[in-house]
Amino acid sequence: MITQTAPPTPPAAVLPSRPPVKRRRRRPDLFRTLSRVLIMLIVIVQVYPLAWLFLTSLRTEQDFATGDPFALPSSLTWENYARAFDTGDLGRNILNSFIVTMGANILIVLLGMMAAYAIQVLGFRLSKLVRGLFLIGIIVPVQIALVPLFIDYSAVNLLDTYLSMIIPLAGFSLPMSIYLFCSFYEYIPKETYEAASLDGAGPYRIFGLITMPLSLNTVVTVVLVNSIFIWNDFIFANTFVLSEDLKTIPLGLQNYIGAMGKVDWTATFAAVCVTITPLLLVFLVLNKAMIQGLENGATKG
Amino acid sequence: MQPNRMLPNRSRTSVLVFLLPPLLLYAAAVLFPILQSLFLSFFSWNGISDMEFVGLDNYVRMFVADDIFWRAFMNALIYLAICLVLQLGGALVVASLLTSLRRGRELIKTLYLLPAVISTVAIAFLFIRIYSLEPVGLLNQLFQWVGLDHLERPWLSDVNTVLAAVSAPEGWRFTGLYMLIIYAALLAVPKELEEAAVLDGASRWTLFTKIRFPYIRPVWITTTIMATTYGLRGFDIPYLMTNGGPGQSSELLTTYMYKAAFTSTDFGYASTISVFIVVECLVAVGLILFVLKRKADS
Repeated sequence: MITQTAPPTPPAAVLPSRPPVKRRRRRPDLFRTLSRVLIMLIVIVQVYPLAWLFLTSLRTEQDFATGDPFALPSSLTWENYARAFDTGDLGRNILNSFIVTMGANILIVLLGMMAAYAIQVLGFRLSKLVRGLFLIGIIVPVQIALVPLFIDYSAVNLLDTYLSMIIPLAGFSLPMSIYLFCSFYEYIPKETYEAASLDGAGPYRIFGLITMPLSLNTVVTVVLVNSIFIWNDFIFANTFVLSEDLKTIPLGLQNYIGAMGKVDWTATFAAVCVTITPLLLVFLVLNKAMIQGLENGATKG
Repeated sequence: MQPNRMLPNRSRTSVLVFLLPPLLLYAAAVLFPILQSLFLSFFSWNGISDMEFVGLDNYVRMFVADDIFWRAFMNALIYLAICLVLQLGGALVVASLLTSLRRGRELIKTLYLLPAVISTVAIAFLFIRIYSLEPVGLLNQLFQWVGLDHLERPWLSDVNTVLAAVSAPEGWRFTGLYMLIIYAALLAVPKELEEAAVLDGASRWTLFTKIRFPYIRPVWITTTIMATTYGLRGFDIPYLMTNGGPGQSSELLTTYMYKAAFTSTDFGYASTISVFIVVECLVAVGLILFVLKRKADS
């Protein structure tokens, strides 16, 4: 890691100054080497901070306070992880994040399918208008909802509940979900529905027996893409949740900033590593599906 | 009657059954709050005493009397500019380079997307350490090594650098996402077009500006809109790293609105600012469509 960060600059500076001996044949190679070096550099910038975060979580406190930040730890220790679990209730935080992510995803998928079915398959006179109404939600920033929801929640005693986080998270993700389901339903041939109709199936049975099972791939996309944002949501949780019992991961991490802003950095980084792990594992296992989903989602537009 | 209707016989109730639940959730979480904010922006209210109708007072105060508002607005634009350069510029460069690579594309895509999976709180912690001077963090150490010692500074407490310092992590976080999208679009450019251009002796630059970029323009518009609206709603990282400080040097409209609402409990004024943020987003999207679409036509 350390050796990689320093040297990439010299070759980039040296290469162009070489005499252009066989210019025609060299050029494509030069371009390729340059772009390879550049890509490596950028990947290091993207990944090194995360590797450093992990390394730091294994450092002793003293080593961290005095040492060169790029140096490898002088000795490895799991002590930070013990302190991390003592300071906060990481298990609880992870469970809460899981509940909120599940709850919001169920709403997003189910309601997204239903709305797309109504708009794209059933069709009705104002469907264009309704679709446009939903599109607003993609553009509008989430902050607009903070004050109104805070007021509404306190009126109906919803502050400080799982639902207070799930409702806006699902609401703001719904438009993208509807959009993805709509663009998929466009490709289901009309004949499929006509055949089912002739067999006497009504709109409810067709939804349950044809549309829903066919949507499975899109469901995976919608869940994966939304989960990144919902799992990491900070703003709604920070605004609507107060009690320790309901704190999700982002809020739990904040507990590591102690009184008077004093931070036990190595323990904090250990906690960060623990909380990153679940989503990171999912991401690494399913990254093909996730990457494909992200690509499809935007390029279809 | 309806050209896009796929089911020949469906009742009006069935439409309602499928449409109402999603519409209700969406109305409760998104549509109604927008209207409520608009409504509240004409009142003065601290959440406890009676609401008092003040007409356009909040708007007058915001546009005429509030220097912090304008400061936060300018900061938000700079924040947006830095995010856009890092996200879209970085994404376009890496995506183009990636197409020339023969192997390892999948691995690089995964590594590049990694920061997008990590929570903003974790990113804020990480970057606080990267920028720190005492003990020396990664960035300052790097400057020491390359002999730019005079650039060393506490990036987050220096009023001249703090805004850039809180913008960079947001840009860093999502380049991978936009790179993926643009890369997928570049792959869809027909090979025959490119090969024909190369045979005609087109340079890499002409190839890019004349063939590839025009071809991916629709996707480019989508990503620009995504990045812009996300940039304008940026909140977490500045809020967590500096809370707008020192002074107002890294205050964005969003952090300022949040403070007005939940520190000063000035719900009316906070709503006025959030109405402004929504209008700003709509105007930005309109401008992007106008400029990029018009270029495409000419």
